[in-house]
Amino acid sequence: MDDLALLDATAQAELVRRREASPAELVEAAITRIEKLDAELNAVVMPRFDGAREAVGRDDLPDGPFRGVPFLTKDLWCFTRGEPLTNGMRFLKEADFVAPDDSHLARRWREGGFVNLGFTNSPELGLVPTTEPEAYGPTHNPWDLGRTPGGSSGGSCAAVAAGLTPIAHASDGGGSIRIPASCCGLVGLKPSRGRVSNGPEGGDLTRFLSVQLGVSTSVRDVAALLDVAAGPEPGDAIIAPAPARAYADEVGAHPGRLRVGIATSLGGNETHPDCIEATEHAGRLLESLGHHVEPDHPDDLDDRANGVAFMAVWMTNAAAALETWGTMVGREVTEADVEPLTWAQVEQGRTLSAIQYLDALNQMQAFTRRIAQWWHDRFDLLLTPTVAHAPPPLGELPPRGDNPLADYGRVVAFVPFTPAFNVTGQPAVSLPLGTSGEGLPLGVQLVAAYGREDVLIRVASQLEAAAPWAGRRPPVHA
Amino acid sequence: MTDDLSLLDATAQAQLVARGDITPLELVDAAINRVEKVNPELNAVIHPLFDKARTAARGELTGPFRGVPAVVKDLDGSSAGDPCHMGNRLLKEVGWVDDHDTFLFAKLRAAGFVFVGKTNTPEFGLQPTTEPLVYGPTRNPWNTERGTGGSSGGSGAAVASGMVPVGHAGDGGGSIRIPGSACGLFGLKPNRGRISMGPDAGESWAGCVARHVLTRSVRDSAAVLDVLTGEMPGDPYTAPPPARPYADEVGADTGRLKVGLLVRAPGEMVPTHPDCVAAAEDAARLLESLGHTVEPASPAALDESALMEKFMVILTTWVVHDVNETARRAGRTVGSEDVEPLTWAYSELGRTHSSADYVDAVNTLHAWSRRMAAWWHDDGYDVLLTPTMAEPPPVLGDLVPPADNPFEGAARATAFATYTAPFNVTGQPAMSVPLFESSEGLPIGTHFVSAANREDVLLRLASQLETARPWSERRPPVHA
Repeated sequence: MDDLALLDATAQAELVRRREASPAELVEAAITRIEKLDAELNAVVMPRFDGAREAVGRDDLPDGPFRGVPFLTKDLWCFTRGEPLTNGMRFLKEADFVAPDDSHLARRWREGGFVNLGFTNSPELGLVPTTEPEAYGPTHNPWDLGRTPGGSSGGSCAAVAAGLTPIAHASDGGGSIRIPASCCGLVGLKPSRGRVSNGPEGGDLTRFLSVQLGVSTSVRDVAALLDVAAGPEPGDAIIAPAPARAYADEVGAHPGRLRVGIATSLGGNETHPDCIEATEHAGRLLESLGHHVEPDHPDDLDDRANGVAFMAVWMTNAAAALETWGTMVGREVTEADVEPLTWAQVEQGRTLSAIQYLDALNQMQAFTRRIAQWWHDRFDLLLTPTVAHAPPPLGELPPRGDNPLADYGRVVAFVPFTPAFNVTGQPAVSLPLGTSGEGLPLGVQLVAAYGREDVLIRVASQLEAAAPWAGRRPPVHA
Repeated sequence: MTDDLSLLDATAQAQLVARGDITPLELVDAAINRVEKVNPELNAVIHPLFDKARTAARGELTGPFRGVPAVVKDLDGSSAGDPCHMGNRLLKEVGWVDDHDTFLFAKLRAAGFVFVGKTNTPEFGLQPTTEPLVYGPTRNPWNTERGTGGSSGGSGAAVASGMVPVGHAGDGGGSIRIPGSACGLFGLKPNRGRISMGPDAGESWAGCVARHVLTRSVRDSAAVLDVLTGEMPGDPYTAPPPARPYADEVGADTGRLKVGLLVRAPGEMVPTHPDCVAAAEDAARLLESLGHTVEPASPAALDESALMEKFMVILTTWVVHDVNETARRAGRTVGSEDVEPLTWAYSELGRTHSSADYVDAVNTLHAWSRRMAAWWHDDGYDVLLTPTMAEPPPVLGDLVPPADNPFEGAARATAFATYTAPFNVTGQPAMSVPLFESSEGLPIGTHFVSAANREDVLLRLASQLETARPWSERRPPVHA
């Protein structure tokens, strides 16, 4: 057992600040953990140990709040200058694509003092909520190696849950931070749209649904991580309202008496009793903390028609993404280059006209307006399960066969609670408050009004204090 | 004979009401008289709302602009119970009436404004001149052979001729600033997200459209912006709130600004008329005399080509949206005879785009916006100074697209939007200030662009310029 593996990122940074550990010691310990455990997990698909050692060996490691803390970057969209990026695609892996420049976020991670130890597994283009790309093979859940860690940030979540690094980058276009956080027993916060810049490489509309941050075991880590990541960059099209103070200051701050609506099924979806119980348990916990909890949710969340607009935008974005990467590499991406589901989504996306896409965007906007009213008029938070059942065995979720889109129903049935808030752009967090009958982690999701990550962090921190989860560790752990 | 009230801005009219010197009904009646007097010559107000305005003026009015008459454009918002035809003949034919207020109009009413009429617009706001076939041209009060610019030309003529002090306007390619320039008015296009487009819409033209008002005074524009600003639930774009009310920027110290001057059209797509060059250069000298630093400079990205093509993908897709929405309202399909030739040509083109084309267009423009932002952010410029238009106010008829080749008319429009449209794409605040008059006595606006979300910088500067070179005494030949 490596003691450092039990410390969150804030605690590791504190050791460095107090000179009780050097960045090099933290990084070496993390490398040892990855070397020991990742053969089982397959979370870190592109290790960068030499680069990490070089970074801590120089004396110019930026003096950010996480100075010297080992970090992992998800292999999806985020450019790190001079480093590979494959988005879980064989196409980019075989092309040896190297990022020409930094994304703003990669620069901010570095300025925050993080030391990147490598890149974590992602399904191809992040299109499914499990992490089993053909290019790298499946990532295994440290709670049960036969099960999925969820996705698309499954590599980062498996790594953090197993204690390889205390914190890692993640991104969420339909639930891809919250879903694997739920599956792996972590805190996963999807920030508001426009809170974290997706620039400067562009693609704002392709990534309209998607926002980046990361995952950790503790609320304070996620709050401090958001302080590093948040804030507009020049030319950002969408800028979330600025917070009144640092998110770190919300940790431990009293949330006041919140009005909470609870829903365990949306649009008649089937939710496993364990997930219902986890959510109701969280509701009782919130009540015991003085909040007002009642069964309620915005009616529009029950309307499956909204899913049609979401899929139109989602599949167009897949088609646009393929164009982008083809252009970057200088070769058209063909059917043989991508997984069957990717190709099916891209083909579907290509059949849509601009006006169909615009109609879908406008429907999503109208949906957002109606949903926002529920928060504006009556409630501070919506409480739901994060996923509809425990993480399934590996191999079960990826759509297969001649018609992968027809096979997509299993995916939708697994994640009925998360995508709506990628449409609305609201912040949402998954907290590891539940356990399935098999002993697997189950998250509950809390959703706040647009721009109100502060509310989420305050209440998450209150729940963490009331029902601490830090002591719960998976069987596979450093 | 001039009606004295016609010379007062909205702030001054509101003060009369607040002091009890005049009633809202008297203000509104006087405005109605002015509309009746000059509108036949100008064709600015196409839907008079006189009875409704008198009823409103007799009722309970509150707010900082209690009883002040205003006009709203027949586009860029719904006003409950009023016709809304957007310059389209089919909507006129079916007599479309809106059943609710957009937030913007509700906020104007809550501030005490009384709408005395709705103003002319080119069909769906697609032209920088206001000459819809269905309602005929709006004439420029400075020279009735000239156009008012567009698309908010009806509001421009109404305010410039003294009918009302405030006219609602919307700007997707310059449609506040262009009529501001052509009619000798102050026109500020606020930042994207500053004024909600809800509840009807989240955005228009992929975030290019911003709404506000045309006014004669800077203080009116600032005070109305205070009324209209503020996020509404579900807005897709939100602008960071200002540090203090915009009204407080009027008369406040500007500091010493670093200004770049550009008098050649972006990408040199069109020549710039000497009067327009002279206006911008004259403004540059004025700025220098006020202590600002002015040098020839502009963002390099402004000259990048191919952006127009991407902008057209977005615009023409939204025209399809407008045509489809018109069909929904009319309850029948829309054919080429139901819209103007240019609109039909745009919609035909719009229907050829794939969803990926649209995404690529928006992504490309967003990436470009980031390169543009660097000039303000990294190079340290506060303001870009250009002519508002590359030509003086258009001669009526000159911009009407020929039916057999409507795109030719669209190309002719470039001269009027070439300096303004780039900042609809970036979403930055920009304003046209009436500082110059051509030798023929036509107003020539000067265009200023600040960094994102810095309306405060623009309003301080505009106020300083208004004091240094007041324009409130200048009145057009056609005036109430």
